[in-house]
Amino acid sequence: MQKDVTISIFEVVGSPLCVASSDGQKIYERLAAALKEDRSVTLSFHNVSTLTSAFLNAAVGQLYGEFSEEQIRSLLKVQDMQPDDMALLKRVVETAKQYFKDPQKFDQAVQDTLGDENDGE
Amino acid sequence: MLPEIRHGQSGYQALVRLVGATKTCIFEDIDIDMGATAWFDADMCAALGAILYRLGESLNTVRLTNIRPGVENILLKNGFLSHYGREKIPDRWGTTIPYRRFDAKDDRFFADYIENELIHRSEMPAMSSGLLKKFRESIFEIFSNAVLHSHSKLGIFSCGQFFPKRDRLDFSVADLGVGMCQNIKDNTGLDLSPEAAIAWATEGRNTTKRGPVPGGLGLKLLVEFIDLNGGCIQIVSDAGYWRREKGKTLTASLVHAFPGTVVTVEINTADTNSYKLTSELSAADIF
Repeated sequence: MQKDVTISIFEVVGSPLCVASSDGQKIYERLAAALKEDRSVTLSFHNVSTLTSAFLNAAVGQLYGEFSEEQIRSLLKVQDMQPDDMALLKRVVETAKQYFKDPQKFDQAVQDTLGDENDGE
Repeated sequence: MLPEIRHGQSGYQALVRLVGATKTCIFEDIDIDMGATAWFDADMCAALGAILYRLGESLNTVRLTNIRPGVENILLKNGFLSHYGREKIPDRWGTTIPYRRFDAKDDRFFADYIENELIHRSEMPAMSSGLLKKFRESIFEIFSNAVLHSHSKLGIFSCGQFFPKRDRLDFSVADLGVGMCQNIKDNTGLDLSPEAAIAWATEGRNTTKRGPVPGGLGLKLLVEFIDLNGGCIQIVSDAGYWRREKGKTLTASLVHAFPGTVVTVEINTADTNSYKLTSELSAADIF
């Protein structure tokens, strides 16, 4: 049986402040490498004090462009997360699913605005 | 001649007038007469600093003259005038959050600055741990937004001030990037007015992000937090002005364009919201 992988965000970023998209990218690269090998991954938020959507979009949101929801749901787990951080991650995940699964809807938002603009003319 | 610079639309109008008046200056000596500047809200140093830095890039020599003692005192304490040949003076009451310029890659320096100069300062008003966390996240969202969207090569400028008696903390981040209007046009094809562009960026699922990393949450989170906190947020980008306070939004057009974007937040430090979630989310429900 293959060993589960644990990725400590604190260890990779080297700081409790996980705010930069570039730091999120480092996490993404490790997560993607593990998921490509069909490994179960636990992402540990131990000792992380501050998160931003920019960091989480790069680290986790980006996964939805490369892996299916089923793959991510079955292989990826999080631990040691504060409830409000979980809520932020959930929003990032929902946004990412829409961004990748339904690009037309994102474009629709643009079209709707264009429509409003044109109506106003 | 620079008039009073207050944290608001009139202050930004005055600053963009300075941009308009110096637009064509290259290799010039520019004296900015501050004799009429009877008041200067310290966080507006971020926007003024960005404007003056850009003038320096065009090899102009900028001098700030006739600064009134009260204003001079603030600008010396927060280190702004250190950029213009003066020495920083101690901040006896510890109410200034120093003026700084960062490069887009300086996210670690910015994080240290926020921790040392804002969060862990003994003079900071006592805020609930929930508020402090949300506040800190919001500041980082603003900085990340500037890094991700502005493509600013000239840097990111920040400054703040808190007002213990009014339970308010003002903080501004300015960049010298492409501005929201141009960024939206380049990435979505939408040709919006500068103020409509700001409104667009703060609404719904709108994002200019394209490519492998999704986006479009940062500004919305910021606006949600400010609405709950009872504070105020102002955004200036290009010639657009956008303000949200008590759930109401105001937009206006400025007389000239700011050469980038400024985000200014006013936080209610006496906010007693717990920011704790009413329903527990399970880790198993996230993905």
